[in-house]
Amino acid sequence: MDNGTGPRLLREARHRAAQSQRELAQAASTAQSVVGRIEAGLTSPTLATLEALVSAAGFELQTVLVPKRRADPVITLYKRDVDRTLLRENLRRTVEERWRMHAALHAQGVALQRAMKKARARKTP
Amino acid sequence: MIPLEQFLAALHGRGVDFVIIGGVAAQAHGSARVTQDLDICYSRTRDNIARLVRALTPFAPYLRGASRGLPFQWSAATVQAGLNFTLTTTIGDLDLLGEVTGGGGFAQLAQHSVEVEAFGFETRIISLPWLIHVKRAAGRPKDLEVIAELEALEEEIRRAKR
Repeated sequence: MDNGTGPRLLREARHRAAQSQRELAQAASTAQSVVGRIEAGLTSPTLATLEALVSAAGFELQTVLVPKRRADPVITLYKRDVDRTLLRENLRRTVEERWRMHAALHAQGVALQRAMKKARARKTP
Repeated sequence: MIPLEQFLAALHGRGVDFVIIGGVAAQAHGSARVTQDLDICYSRTRDNIARLVRALTPFAPYLRGASRGLPFQWSAATVQAGLNFTLTTTIGDLDLLGEVTGGGGFAQLAQHSVEVEAFGFETRIISLPWLIHVKRAAGRPKDLEVIAELEALEEEIRRAKR
């Protein structure tokens, strides 16, 4: 579990349960500051603590094993050519902004395809 | 591309259980790649299939690439009898998946999803690590470039957190 997973899971569980930090803390018989510090990433909770907090929000924490990622030489080669400036720009946007931007790009692509089709039709004798 | 706002409103309006996967999920995570269709993994419970069918009926789903006039009927019985469907609708192309290679069905994918807020809805999308896992498991050569971008994205997210 990376450092961001615990806070994200706890926040998601609390939001889905529509609980405030205080309400969740009360349900888990702990202090609000404990919840706040974990969500802010200031404290790394043990698995048992996280399970107890998530359970107080009405959820079960399940852990699964996933195969370890093996380095793939082709992927590594492709990765060198990824334009990371575009990714960084996107990461500054909200999810809705990202989706709206892609929808606009797609619409422009479709409009261009139509224009090309018309142009070809005009050229055909 | 399918207008997401309209589509999400239809699915959430009927309370359909689904997870967005594929290119649109990658875009939500920050991918710069353009995609034409929307892929979702839906829960195969009888009730959810009924909700899904009701939600999509206004968009007249039909088998993508199939000639008109086939005995295809968009109904709960059809979805129940099948699993994965590549569909065209009046608002765009849509892939409905009951199971995903290497990713399992809705229940498993839901465990590897994150909720994102967009267009006024909380929508589940496959998590970035699990999307990479699923793409790797599919083993399709065409996905290698996509995986490279997703892994670069993962690195950029980590870098931004530092």
